[in-house]
Amino acid sequence: MDSANLIVSMSPHIRGRISVERMMLITISALIPTAVAGLYYFGIKGLMIMVLSVLTAVVVESVIEWLTHRQLTFKDYHAVLMGFLFALILPSSVPWWIPVIGSGVAVILGKMVFGGLGTYPFNPVLVSWVVLKLSWGERMSLFFSPHSTDQVLTPLMAIKEDPALFYDYELMDLFVGTQAGAVGTVCGLALVIGGIVLVSTKLIRWHIPVSFLIGIALVATILHGINADMNPPALFHLITGGTLMTAFFLAPEPVTSPVTPVGMLSFGFLAGVLTMIIRLWGAHPDGSFYAILIMNAATPLFNNLKPRLYGRR
Amino acid sequence: MGLFTKGITLPKAFTPNGITPVDIPLPGQVTLPLRQYLGEAAEPSVQVGDTVEVGQVIATAPGPQALPLHATISGSISAIGETLTYKGLGLPAITITGDGKDTWHTPPEPTADIDTLTVDELIGRMDGAGLITTGMFPVPLGRDLMPLEQPKTHLTLDGRAVVQRIDTLMITACDTEPALGVNRFLATTDSEALPIGIAALTKLTGADQIRFIVDKYNDPPAQLTALTAADETECTGISAINGRHYPAAHPAVLIKALLHREIPLPYGHPRDVGVALYDLATVMALGAALSTGLPPVTQLITVGGGALKTQGIVTARLGTSLGEIIEAVGGFSRDAAKIIVGGPMTGMAHYDLSIPLTKEVAGVFALTEEEITLTEGYRQCINCGRCVAVCPVNLVPGMLSLYCAKDRFDRAEHQGVLSCIECGCCDYVCPSRRPLVHLFRYAKHQLMEG
Repeated sequence: MDSANLIVSMSPHIRGRISVERMMLITISALIPTAVAGLYYFGIKGLMIMVLSVLTAVVVESVIEWLTHRQLTFKDYHAVLMGFLFALILPSSVPWWIPVIGSGVAVILGKMVFGGLGTYPFNPVLVSWVVLKLSWGERMSLFFSPHSTDQVLTPLMAIKEDPALFYDYELMDLFVGTQAGAVGTVCGLALVIGGIVLVSTKLIRWHIPVSFLIGIALVATILHGINADMNPPALFHLITGGTLMTAFFLAPEPVTSPVTPVGMLSFGFLAGVLTMIIRLWGAHPDGSFYAILIMNAATPLFNNLKPRLYGRR
Repeated sequence: MGLFTKGITLPKAFTPNGITPVDIPLPGQVTLPLRQYLGEAAEPSVQVGDTVEVGQVIATAPGPQALPLHATISGSISAIGETLTYKGLGLPAITITGDGKDTWHTPPEPTADIDTLTVDELIGRMDGAGLITTGMFPVPLGRDLMPLEQPKTHLTLDGRAVVQRIDTLMITACDTEPALGVNRFLATTDSEALPIGIAALTKLTGADQIRFIVDKYNDPPAQLTALTAADETECTGISAINGRHYPAAHPAVLIKALLHREIPLPYGHPRDVGVALYDLATVMALGAALSTGLPPVTQLITVGGGALKTQGIVTARLGTSLGEIIEAVGGFSRDAAKIIVGGPMTGMAHYDLSIPLTKEVAGVFALTEEEITLTEGYRQCINCGRCVAVCPVNLVPGMLSLYCAKDRFDRAEHQGVLSCIECGCCDYVCPSRRPLVHLFRYAKHQLMEG
């Protein structure tokens, strides 16, 4: 035995199989049902958005890393995931340059200016979504009906105009995705499948999705109880807009969400309540993305809600 | 889950079922460090050239924090020098070159009845046999049972000082790491020494109840042995725990799970919460030493790892070099990337196979390149919170590691870095492969120094 080849380092000497690459790949595969639904409802337009968005994210990240003499990190699939997620929250009506600019902004302003994966304070995908929303608000609010290019209002936009309109929507249609919406948020079923994959593989913990959905359901149920004609039931709010996408893919994003159990529960619950406040009384039809961005800023505070140390009072 | 909500489940657990320990042949030479525990070193009482027999005292204890040292083979003293030990330190040691005859020293009269001995006599015999405790910080067994300083006093909320009485004796047949298997193996054997060891411990601690902890994946004899022993003493419970769970057998975790008491970390001891916790190997060694009057000269250890031809439990004379033990079980089948003394989760990596087997060693592992994961080129913490979910002492390891890496030791101490039990669970689950325990040890070291 040649002792010169022996490695000496600190314990532990064995480690689990989880890695950043694996985490990203599992998240990407959990998004596949959603992507398939998006392709089914929006066809080639949906595919174009996804491909452009993913490509831009990978290229922009690599170029920045090359310019700043850093190690290329496209192999960790985080850029792919970001581009993919970003494509899924865009409406299918957008021209080709929207996913390109948006994905680029997500990588540059959302991620790389802070130092890359692990350092950014706000969910980069949502940062970019807000930038686009502020810059090209009308294009970002133009939704097509599935299987067509008819311009329609999303359910949340419709009830913003007239709250009583929620009677027109069948909950099942909303859940399966035959109503207008963004590429990846129309089909609630696919998102729930993805969410179950993430929670059951323990990639995300149940705390944030569950408390987020409870926060929304609680506010909606109370209001529905007060005035059932003007306020849709909780289920309507749970399956429309970006609720499910936010619950499973955007809110539990590891870097920008809290890590302690109580912190995660409060983060999710308050984000849910905030979503409902924006939906009901804010200027925007769907508040979930804004709610997460605002809550991201408070993540360091939620991390102070630590479990009690063993052996201390 | 169940009893243990934190921690991890390791894929590879030692299964002692049907294993017979391999006897390592009598070594031609043994090296015995003068200190094989935390405390004072023994002083050699022999000279180079002296002839010694197995079990003969070759170094005496100069003080209460020291233990005498016994020859483990018969032969002549060939050197009194220095050797590298498993802790990575050079320590003075006595080397004996064997004569191959294995003649035994006549032991002092064995202890007939535990009840007739006084506490001081019992402790004296324990120390005389050179018994130590197991775990990360092994100390002489007698010191662990009877701390020389006054028993720790605790202030209750109303300001009264209370002295904690030991009410529970816990005997665990689980190893501190699932990959180690000596205690689980011993649980499947019948031992006459066990009841004697238990009787002695009961007398010394004054415990009212005895609890056995067995691995639920172990063969039925485990429970049988425990029950047989229990008939002769006042056993009040057998708890079957998941032996693949880690760190279920860590004293702090075990006592919390079974008795809902928390050892006051960082400097706490099971006795602070009224518990005496020993593993089966220690209790059996104590029983054997009391009933035969002979000090332990052999040690059971686990040998494992993908680089070795055979894995299992071996029994070897103390002072045998680890290289010799590995050769005796068939040697390497593949190139080893790491040689680990102890278990894969908490052991020490070594570059030299000439280190002698000492009383603290629980196992030797030769891991291949595929089995180990290096932390070289580790990433930024991605704040995923996996470490928080597994930390048995409820730290927030990810955040803590940032403080340690940036030398903010004041913040690290405030966040409880000193409470870290260095189990390695956070490292195990970290997707960024950060060397978390390494950073915590660094911070602890800096805090202790300063």
